[in-house]
Amino acid sequence: MKRARMLGAALAATAALVACGGGQTKLDLFSTNWTDDGGVSIGHVWQRVGSAPIAPSADVVIGVAGHTDKLIGLPLGGGSKWTFAHPLDARPAVAGSVVVASGGGEVLALDAKTGSVLWRRPTGGLPLLGAGDDGTVTVVTFRRAGNTGSVLLAVGHDGQVVRQIETDKPLGAPAVLAGLAFVPWAGQYVSVIDLANGDETARVTLRQQTSRAWTEGGSLWFGQVGFVRFDDRIRQASQNKATALSVPMRELPGTPKLMPSGSAPLPAVANAEDKTRIYARPEGTDAGAALADGRWYATYFRLAMGFGAGKGKLAWVHSHGADFLGGDAAAGGVVLCDEQGKVTELDAKTGGVLSEADLGEPVEACVVNVDGEHLHGTPADAKPLADQLASAVLADDPQLVEAQKLLLRELSSLEDETATKTLVDLASDPRTSPDLLVVARKALAARRNGASYMEAALERHYDYLHDVLRPPPVGPIAQALGAMKERGAASLLAAHLLDPADTDDDVKDAAAALAVVAGPDQLPTLRQFFAMYRATAADDDIAAAVVSVGQALLALEDETGRAVVAAAAKDPATVDYARERLEALLASQPAPSPGNASESGAKKNDKKNRK
Amino acid sequence: MRVRPFAALLGAALALAAVERSAAARPPRAAPAADAPRAIPLPADAIKRLQSGDPAQVKSALDDVRTSARAGAPAVPAVVKLLQQGMSLPLTQAAIDTLGDTENEGASEALAWYARHRNGGLRRAAVQALARTRGPAAVRALRLALSDPDPGVRGLAATGLGNMKAKDAVGDLFVALDHKIAEAAASIGQLCAGNECDRLAGKLGSVPFDVVTSGLDEVLFRPASDVSDDLKVKIVGRVRELGTGEANRFLREVQTKWPKTWSQRVKQAIDQAVLATSGSPGSSTAEPPPGGAGGGR
Repeated sequence: MKRARMLGAALAATAALVACGGGQTKLDLFSTNWTDDGGVSIGHVWQRVGSAPIAPSADVVIGVAGHTDKLIGLPLGGGSKWTFAHPLDARPAVAGSVVVASGGGEVLALDAKTGSVLWRRPTGGLPLLGAGDDGTVTVVTFRRAGNTGSVLLAVGHDGQVVRQIETDKPLGAPAVLAGLAFVPWAGQYVSVIDLANGDETARVTLRQQTSRAWTEGGSLWFGQVGFVRFDDRIRQASQNKATALSVPMRELPGTPKLMPSGSAPLPAVANAEDKTRIYARPEGTDAGAALADGRWYATYFRLAMGFGAGKGKLAWVHSHGADFLGGDAAAGGVVLCDEQGKVTELDAKTGGVLSEADLGEPVEACVVNVDGEHLHGTPADAKPLADQLASAVLADDPQLVEAQKLLLRELSSLEDETATKTLVDLASDPRTSPDLLVVARKALAARRNGASYMEAALERHYDYLHDVLRPPPVGPIAQALGAMKERGAASLLAAHLLDPADTDDDVKDAAAALAVVAGPDQLPTLRQFFAMYRATAADDDIAAAVVSVGQALLALEDETGRAVVAAAAKDPATVDYARERLEALLASQPAPSPGNASESGAKKNDKKNRK
Repeated sequence: MRVRPFAALLGAALALAAVERSAAARPPRAAPAADAPRAIPLPADAIKRLQSGDPAQVKSALDDVRTSARAGAPAVPAVVKLLQQGMSLPLTQAAIDTLGDTENEGASEALAWYARHRNGGLRRAAVQALARTRGPAAVRALRLALSDPDPGVRGLAATGLGNMKAKDAVGDLFVALDHKIAEAAASIGQLCAGNECDRLAGKLGSVPFDVVTSGLDEVLFRPASDVSDDLKVKIVGRVRELGTGEANRFLREVQTKWPKTWSQRVKQAIDQAVLATSGSPGSSTAEPPPGGAGGGR
């Protein structure tokens, strides 16, 4: 019974679509019995329309506001903001010079510059998939109720239905060029429909996932996970020799997509996938195609990142005040729209803000389309990458942790003392998430510069009365300073040996570093630690610290130190772990015979400290 | 009833502090009276046993030193040396406790080491011992221990500073009180002067009543030579202004304990305050103030 009702509704919807007449087609379109023609038919299409000029589509930002019943249009590069009240059941689409939206049982096209209605047609509630427009006719695809196929509707700007096609195949988002509709379907085909007669005049098989067709930068493109250009090499597409372009593979937080599938309606309200996206602008070149400005972009909630087109190297990070919901790559940069309705243009090279605009209110979703506009100007806040990374990784926002871990690794690869400072700050901040803390500490231990920042951190100790409730990252700093042989840090490290608030492994690392950098000034502290813990070490970390301190005592005091260590090595009260290793240490460093003492590490340290 | 975690902790903390204070309030040892138990002299071989290197002998010697208490002073350098060489955990604990019982300032430097040991039990023992061995090293160590990660150590340090009459630590104790170290209030009450005592009274309303009054109680029962009657009357007035049942109960307790030979002016202020707060919600007005003259009679 329920099934019958649904079918009835679908039929009613179809009837509604055709209600006002126009050419109807029910041919054997989109047949899967088709045999690849080796590019012959698509080659003919290229010859026919390849030289036809393609006008830039509208540069506009469309916000979905209210309770998904209000469109706000903001033309970029001039023009007044407009609003249009209408219920929406899917994300609007920008095609050519029009904005197409569905909802309230109808589909309508608005002038992208003014928001005025060009045409509207009843749909019976079918949600919009995508749209193309060549300035004369708009082609719109819908998904049929119950996911039982698709409907293609071509409407002239005068409101007359030019063509309507129903199919049980999953159609994608179409493009229109010179009266030909380019319709991706089944994830791998693009069929060319002659809107004059409804015939499928050509078809091309693509060797990458394809559900979208669109015009951009004067070219027609097909794609979803990458870009395939409609040019004279399109005839070789089935042999995977078309002009294709992709975004380099690299690790990104949230596994963002370049484009959502064109075969499923996008919800009117943005979701997490809209907040984690990749944006790139393909450009036709003499050699085929390239990414504009040698850049591609990714968003992760309120972070935006710019990457090099070659190997995907991070070029910049922009930390924003609100989550990004939509965007589009443009020549010269990227235009992003956030949930507060703010529109921000970021410079391709630096990530600096080129301009900001405002839709006037928070939005539920945002569609950005930039084609002809070339972003230019002097970025207002361009900072070095290390500073940008510092801002991003220090942001106190739990939802950013995945991106922050990745950015932290990027930061760690920079030979810049600012990077060290950021790692110290992050590892010292009690608000840092446990996941991030692990990465920060590891990266900090591997640093080989920025000793002054590390020493400044070591001056801090846990101090309940003064609200210092997290000790500095003593262990990683000790590892780094030890590796850098920073003898100036010895007293600071020694002070942490005796701090009960430091973790056992931090103390172990501090002791290991002191075995390398300690000088005579540290002897009292070393002796105290050795005495306090040789027989009371609660675990192997502290016992290992005792051994390291014993090593330092041997190095710094030829006779007295050896006597202290030897006594501990003989005393059954000394914890087993330490005793065994102290014995081995003594055995490996025979007592120097009087008058023939070689210059030990201790003396070397001593001399250097005196210097 | 809404449970207040801080108040619950406070109860335990105050109980601890009270024990400490009562111990500290014991009169100092004077020359043994004819009927007082005589100090047990340190056995002649105790120091030799401490230096024997044999854990059993060391332990027995520590026990002997502990029994001798202050009379064990000659053994203090040997015990200190043991701590400075390092011993097993049980012997270290015993040595710390022993040094505390000797109440010998010569032990403070070594005890200060262990007030920073990673073992919380040893830190607590060392802080308690330092409160008894006293001296500048002990004061330094206890002030540092106010910032210890272990709340038990912090509380003992606060109590110890009060018992040691470490007047220089009053500033730290106020910071400690603001950081919910409840034991700091009683110590401030033991140490404060003039404005400092007034500042403590000013905490009424922002710090739990029981915490503040644990300090005000100390102020009120300090001798007149130490805290003026004016200040005591002012403090009574501060509590009276609260007009609450708990204020009434506190004042009644003070009224009960007030020595008969002490200032009648302060007593009159207490009596009037008890009367003025007796109708407050939560006060036990059904019962007459125990032992009080009652300003309204």
